Amino acid sequence: MDKKIGVYICHCGGNISDYVDVEKVKQSVENDEGIFLVKTTMFACGDANQKEMVDDITKNGLNGVVVASCSPKLHLITFRAVTERANLNKYNYVHANIREQASWAHSDDKSGATETAIRLVKAAIAKVRLAQPLFPFVIKSKKAVAVIGGGVAGLRAAIELSDMGCPVTLIEREHFIGGRVSQWNLLFTTSETGKELVTKLYNEVIDRENITLHTGSEVISSTGNIGAFKLKIKKIPRYIKQECHKGKLQEAIDACPVTVDDSFNFNITGRKAIYHNFPSEYPQEPVIDIKNCTRCGECEKICPSVDFSQKEEIIEIEVGSVLMATGFDSYTPSDGEFGYDQFENVVTLPQFKRIIELNDKKLIFKGKEIKNIAYIYCVGSRQIEGENKYCSRYCCTSAIFAAIHTKNKFENINNYHFTRGIRTYGKQEVLYAESLKKGDIYLQSYEDDPPVVTTVNDKTLVSINDILTSKSKMSVEADLVVLVTGMVPRADNSVAALFKLPKGRDKFFNEIHMKLRPVETVIDGVTICGACQGPKNIMESVNSALSAAAKSFSYVSKGVLELEPIIAKIDKDDCTWCGQCAEACPFDAIKMVKDEKKDIAAINNSVCKGCGMCLPVCPTDAIDLIAYSNREIESMIDALAG
Amino acid sequence: MAAINPEFGKELNRYGAFDFNACYNCGTCTAVCSLSTEEDSFPREMVRFSVLGMKDEIKSSLKPWLCYYCGECSTNCPQEANPGELMMSLRRWLTTEYDWTKLSGLLYRSLPLTIIGFIIIAIGVLIFSALENFNLQSIMHIGHFFEIIAIASVFGFILLPNIIRMWWLIIMKPRIKVPLMKYITGFGELIVHMFTQKRSLGCDNNQLRWFEHFILVIGYLGLLFTTVFLDWFSNDNLFVIVLGYIMSIIIFIVTIDFMSDRIKKQKEMSKFSQPSDWMFVVWLFLMGLTAFIVRLFIDTGLIEQNIWLYLFHLTILVQWALIIVPFGKWTHFLYRSFAMYFAKIKSQ
Repeated sequence: MDKKIGVYICHCGGNISDYVDVEKVKQSVENDEGIFLVKTTMFACGDANQKEMVDDITKNGLNGVVVASCSPKLHLITFRAVTERANLNKYNYVHANIREQASWAHSDDKSGATETAIRLVKAAIAKVRLAQPLFPFVIKSKKAVAVIGGGVAGLRAAIELSDMGCPVTLIEREHFIGGRVSQWNLLFTTSETGKELVTKLYNEVIDRENITLHTGSEVISSTGNIGAFKLKIKKIPRYIKQECHKGKLQEAIDACPVTVDDSFNFNITGRKAIYHNFPSEYPQEPVIDIKNCTRCGECEKICPSVDFSQKEEIIEIEVGSVLMATGFDSYTPSDGEFGYDQFENVVTLPQFKRIIELNDKKLIFKGKEIKNIAYIYCVGSRQIEGENKYCSRYCCTSAIFAAIHTKNKFENINNYHFTRGIRTYGKQEVLYAESLKKGDIYLQSYEDDPPVVTTVNDKTLVSINDILTSKSKMSVEADLVVLVTGMVPRADNSVAALFKLPKGRDKFFNEIHMKLRPVETVIDGVTICGACQGPKNIMESVNSALSAAAKSFSYVSKGVLELEPIIAKIDKDDCTWCGQCAEACPFDAIKMVKDEKKDIAAINNSVCKGCGMCLPVCPTDAIDLIAYSNREIESMIDALAG
Repeated sequence: MAAINPEFGKELNRYGAFDFNACYNCGTCTAVCSLSTEEDSFPREMVRFSVLGMKDEIKSSLKPWLCYYCGECSTNCPQEANPGELMMSLRRWLTTEYDWTKLSGLLYRSLPLTIIGFIIIAIGVLIFSALENFNLQSIMHIGHFFEIIAIASVFGFILLPNIIRMWWLIIMKPRIKVPLMKYITGFGELIVHMFTQKRSLGCDNNQLRWFEHFILVIGYLGLLFTTVFLDWFSNDNLFVIVLGYIMSIIIFIVTIDFMSDRIKKQKEMSKFSQPSDWMFVVWLFLMGLTAFIVRLFIDTGLIEQNIWLYLFHLTILVQWALIIVPFGKWTHFLYRSFAMYFAKIKSQ
């Protein structure tokens, strides 16, 4: 079909026309093949010009449109929308950037700028001559979401999805839900305990019939794509019958001869191989830690609820979207970092929070009563060397809150904070003021001169060159040193590898756009929220969880999805399946299939993003990118080189 | 390496300081202070020393005396940490540190002890009068004699040693080398500041207060001179009589204004009054007023019938001379002027 093309050349106020002779551009393309009209305009994006374009297209039956103006980042979508309003398929629109690429780049050379602009417009015209109408792919999307991680973010997201009418599979690796929040006692600014929050959320989860909760479960494989993710879940049993006898179970726990480090208390205490973390934990049945269980049978003799016949299960589900809420690990200091693992009275902030909860009346650690506590801030965060350059955001507030809480709960406590500047942002600032008024002492140093922990005659000294006191060397004899550790990504993030989730420089999962697309990932259909994305406090985690729930639901709510048609296409005849394209594909969109006679590559249309990485590696030139075919690109190059 | 001592903060609270722990070291106080300079920057540093309990640094510092409590720092403090009142409390604390008898510390910290001291002195005056058979002539004679003895011994045994202690802490202990000539050439500074409090004019909008304080000092020194050296109560010279009247009037008029400020609590410096502040201003007022009335009664011939009036005046006078002058707020008259003197001779 012969093209009837309209070209609009924008002055951009003077941004373009001050350097590019737009009339000359107009004259030089007016008589080109297929050109029906050429206009110059003061502002192509202005409402008046948009209306004029719609009129031009409809009245004259134009079937190709070029606007030569600013960057397509700014207005490609604007002008595609103009053609759609004029009932012309939007892929018949081509954008030429003569501002960033001509007038601004060559403001010192007006005739050169004009020449460049002419060639750019001619190239766009060459492309539009070959443009074809394209239509989005429509695929089915299963109305179900898998939420991975049963912490506060995952629980809240699951509840929200359920309320929108979406079936949810909630998958938690541990045998108990609540994640990190269940490990905290009092929480800052709300004066609730972590357990209370988790209890509220759990009760809401079990109330909802469309949420399926799997504890002790891990996703072990994922195939498929947005709209149809097929997940395999490995579920480890509790080895306890559901309706168990509580009293006997406690006896069974007491009888268990195995003791291992209790990770719930960050290894400051031990637990049995049959255990629950605290009495009212959810789900309420204890668990047998089968990895550490010696099968001695002591518990079985006492309690009839123990059931070693339970088997691991593999559960297969299909969901339209996956919501990741896998949380964080607390930074573990390396050996000797501020005396950690070197002096026995050096602990991390999470350990300290457990110590506060586990003590009543007097604060006792390793048999000694604690009076003077030194807090060293930014341990594992804001590091000059290494990966953790970021601020973990929650730790200042959390440490200060713990310090206040300690003073309230126990008598004669002195708190000394060794900081690098306090960041109790927002409403949390009141805690800083409160701790100051309570007599907590703050000292500060720069990152290149951190505090030093030493022992002298069995006494632990923390010293610092305090920049608030003209760098005077100040020291405190501390009974307990608390390293205020930040958040790091989960050590075992294998589940993310299943989805090929990209990570940022900080090794947390990466969103597409920090501000505008904060919970989407480049893997279509997979959303992220909570601290797996970066350090967040509970409030921020729940905010992002609700946001991710809404986004995940938008993928599955209609039952179908429309996908961008600009993707790669395989020429079956030319393809000889060498596999190089599949290796080059960053999205895992190319697989080998058997054609009638030979093996060939096949593109998964729902996964391909049209990035074009596969094109140059193909030795037989069997791959083309729709809308950016070799023919189109070559014709553009000819126009530019002409 | 200095050890942090949080107990010091609690000690300072007994001298009237409060909430200074709320300081988050923004330095607004130092920035707004019109007396703070690059070399002598305060009050933030003093707040910091107080929070950390760095007693030695405070003891060897003159900065608390360089502040004249305009209160701008307290008004502008975003944490309401009251740096102005902390500086005031540091002056009280330093007063007790300079005092070798340590009695001033006891009196600052304990109001009951102070009251007991006042009562003992009142009883002592009564017993002495009884021993003299309430003979006005001999009581007045011995009263005048007492004044001279008291001034000499309070100065000789308490104030002078305390000034030497101050000098030791500020100049000798930190091993600051001061040439002898400087002690002599800097002496003018001592005299000027002792009689004018010139530095306090550097505080914003402080002219009226400075003037009041200035004439109060003149009035006080004048009355001291008139009563002690010119024996006002027994002198018949008209000039001396009128001079005494003027001086005593100045004292009780100005102190009325100072007391009303402390009651109204509108100015930052008058908001927080410790017992020592009240005693100082009230006794000064009573001294001026009773001296005035005693002389008035002498001139009108009523004093013989109202011997109690002179006994009351004498009680006030003895309490002033034995408690407030050596151990109370009176000492700021000396320490402030010596602080300016030491600052001068310390400087390059």
